[in-house]
Amino acid sequence: MNPPPESGTVFIVDDDESFLRSVSRLLRAAGYFVQAFDSAEKFLEQLAPEMSGCVLADLQMPGLNGLELQEALAKSANPLPVVFLSAQGDIPTTVQAMRRGAEDFLTKLSPKEKLLDAVRRALARGAQERSERVRLQKLRVRFDALTPREMEVLEHVVRGKMNKQIADDLGINERTVKLHRTNLTRTLQVQSVAELTRLVEKAGLFKHGDTK
Amino acid sequence: MKRKVRTIDCACLNFTKQFFSLTVRQPAEVLFAVLALFFFDKMDCFAQSATDRENSSPKHVLMLFNEGKDVPGNIILEQAVRTEMQKNSTNRIEFLAEYLDASHFSDKEHFRLFEDYLGKKYAGQNLDLIMSFPSRDYRLAGELPNALFSDVPVVFIAVNEMDVPQAVGKFGVTGIVQRFDIRGTLGLIMRLQPDTRRVVVIGGVSDVDRATLGRIAEASQALEGIKFEFWTNRPVAELPEAVKSLPEGTVVLLSTVLNDVSGQTFYMAQLAQMLAPSASVPVYVLGGWALGDGALGGSVVDSEDLGARAGQLALRVLGGANPKTLPIEVATKGTPMVDWRALQRWRIKESRVPANGVIRYRPETLWDEHRNLILFSLAVFLAQAVTIGGLLRQRNRRRKAEAEILNQRTELAHVTRVSTMGQLTSALAHELNQPLGAILRNTEAAEILLQNEKPDLEEIRAILADIHKDDQRAGNVIERMRSLLKRRSLELKSFDLNELLAETITLAQSDATSRQVNLILQMPAVPPTVRGDRVHLQQVLLNLILNGMDAMADAAKFQRQLTVRAEMAKDGNVEIAVSDCGSGISPDKLKHLFEPFFTTKANGMGMGLAISQTIIEAHGGKIRGENNATRGAVFKFTLPADQK
Repeated sequence: MNPPPESGTVFIVDDDESFLRSVSRLLRAAGYFVQAFDSAEKFLEQLAPEMSGCVLADLQMPGLNGLELQEALAKSANPLPVVFLSAQGDIPTTVQAMRRGAEDFLTKLSPKEKLLDAVRRALARGAQERSERVRLQKLRVRFDALTPREMEVLEHVVRGKMNKQIADDLGINERTVKLHRTNLTRTLQVQSVAELTRLVEKAGLFKHGDTK
Repeated sequence: MKRKVRTIDCACLNFTKQFFSLTVRQPAEVLFAVLALFFFDKMDCFAQSATDRENSSPKHVLMLFNEGKDVPGNIILEQAVRTEMQKNSTNRIEFLAEYLDASHFSDKEHFRLFEDYLGKKYAGQNLDLIMSFPSRDYRLAGELPNALFSDVPVVFIAVNEMDVPQAVGKFGVTGIVQRFDIRGTLGLIMRLQPDTRRVVVIGGVSDVDRATLGRIAEASQALEGIKFEFWTNRPVAELPEAVKSLPEGTVVLLSTVLNDVSGQTFYMAQLAQMLAPSASVPVYVLGGWALGDGALGGSVVDSEDLGARAGQLALRVLGGANPKTLPIEVATKGTPMVDWRALQRWRIKESRVPANGVIRYRPETLWDEHRNLILFSLAVFLAQAVTIGGLLRQRNRRRKAEAEILNQRTELAHVTRVSTMGQLTSALAHELNQPLGAILRNTEAAEILLQNEKPDLEEIRAILADIHKDDQRAGNVIERMRSLLKRRSLELKSFDLNELLAETITLAQSDATSRQVNLILQMPAVPPTVRGDRVHLQQVLLNLILNGMDAMADAAKFQRQLTVRAEMAKDGNVEIAVSDCGSGISPDKLKHLFEPFFTTKANGMGMGLAISQTIIEAHGGKIRGENNATRGAVFKFTLPADQK
């Protein structure tokens, strides 16, 4: 019956002491690691990048409320997925929460299955996002080895520009451009431009740069 | 002319006297009666003046009395005659009267002088009629007028038992001889006092008196077993003493005493006055005029009735009828008449008086005596009653209206409470969903725990305890809601104000949380006890709190602070202030705050503060709204602290 415990902890944030205790009990009984906080501020204080899992938060709380917690979390280095658990939700709040990427929006009277399912999904998503973040981080470490000039050349290359064009754009010699390309493919251990482009894409680089 | 006026005045006076003594006691009524008489009299005079012109000669009637002026029977008789004649005559009638006074001057010389006097006095006077009132003999009806005024017709009225001398008839005289109703009187005695065994008859020794006594003796034959005693040989002066000790079963019957044994004259009325009050037994009389001074009654000669009949007879003669053709009438009819006061004195039931009997001197009932006053009073009373009734009706209506207003106010209070609840719905749903959610999660957890082979019983026990607590919590929320929603009138009870404040803040807390308003409660260290209706006061508080939160909707988040502060005022009242940090109230709106339907909110009903004011004032408190010195508005209301 017990769902396979996902890795990670469920961080429960609720100002209602009794509900906090009961939902902690349930999740613990269901096999999850649980950590309970009676305010958003206390949770954010203890939030650390290495913490994995998801957040199960009440919407209406004195001090920072649920939506504000979500916002703060998204901006943090550890954007854990959030499941909202509200005593009484209204449509505008729900829409806003979901648009900001909440995993789910449940009421406190939702059936256990829905709650556990949402928690499972959130944990899975958290885990996935975390591994993605780790992979990206590893990729980005490889790019970190490049010099600023090599990054510039790289950006031009993945945008499909010829060496001559790159040399013109950067105001350098075409041969120097070739030298930078050779160095960066060696550093990044790629064989072809296609492979290089795929790697850049995975690392999520230059997403916001506009084509010149 | 002079004489005429005097006579009429005299008549009026007489009548007035009588009217006064018999029926009228209220001075106002006397005045009224006199005025009325005066008025009628004048009318009469005018009427007569009018007839004078048509019928220029007034009729002159000379009345001749055998006795003096003060014989009660005669006074009534004379008056009755005059009244009857004046009433029914088309002519003006001048009455002239002369009194022989035979009781005091019985000698022949006196009679001669009287005759002489009359002859000289009325010589050359045009007399139209002589009315004679004989008593001891009929000279005044026959010989005298025949000698002096032979061509003047004569009508006489005699009240006695003497036979009319044949001679009288030949003078062209007619008249009425009224006999005493002796049989009737004896019958009345037996009827009123069936136990009577003895009748003491008091009479005189003159011819007239003897005639009367003879008639009484004759009538007594009809009554068997009753002893009749005729006291004629005692001077009347001794009688008052003698009648004081008469034994029970005796009655006294007064006959005529024109002369007693000592030669003195006593009228029946005088006798009655002397004897009846002190007599140990009832005294009966034969003449109506003798009633009223203590006598019980008798089948009496009714002087007024007799006078009326005599008047009619006189008018016929005046009208031209020949007295010779009119037979002398001998009347024996009496009227059973009793004095009500004597009936009371002798404890004789009124029901014993015969149906045709007359009861005199019954104290007039209030109605008889004060008819006008009663009618007037009744009218005043009625008017008053109507006014009072009207006022009562008005008051009833006003009360109904007030009750209606109160009802509507309760209704309105209910509506605003419902709308307050509406505003609080999400907050309350939140309130309710917290414990319900906790219960749900706890049971789910317990289910899972129970699936283990070795369930953690300790944990399950804790779960059950929590469920129990949350269940109570949910119940409380519902109770709060229910009491707030209940349609109810004011119920005053003493309660702890701090408790109410805390509870109300709890109720508003979740709403405040969702609106990101910081609710601050400041309470006195010593909880004040307040007497009032908890639910209504909570409504006021909630209303002010929700208003305050509304006022801060546009304020920066850090400024959203609502303070509820209660403190003891110097005057012993408790003051509760709900202060917000919104934009405050513009001065022109301040004075309209508590007016019904005044609102600054887009969806406001404008009833919240009006209802709040009604509630606070019903508690004997005051509510006001003003701007804070720094920021926002504050609403303060006072409640009298419970002194106990």
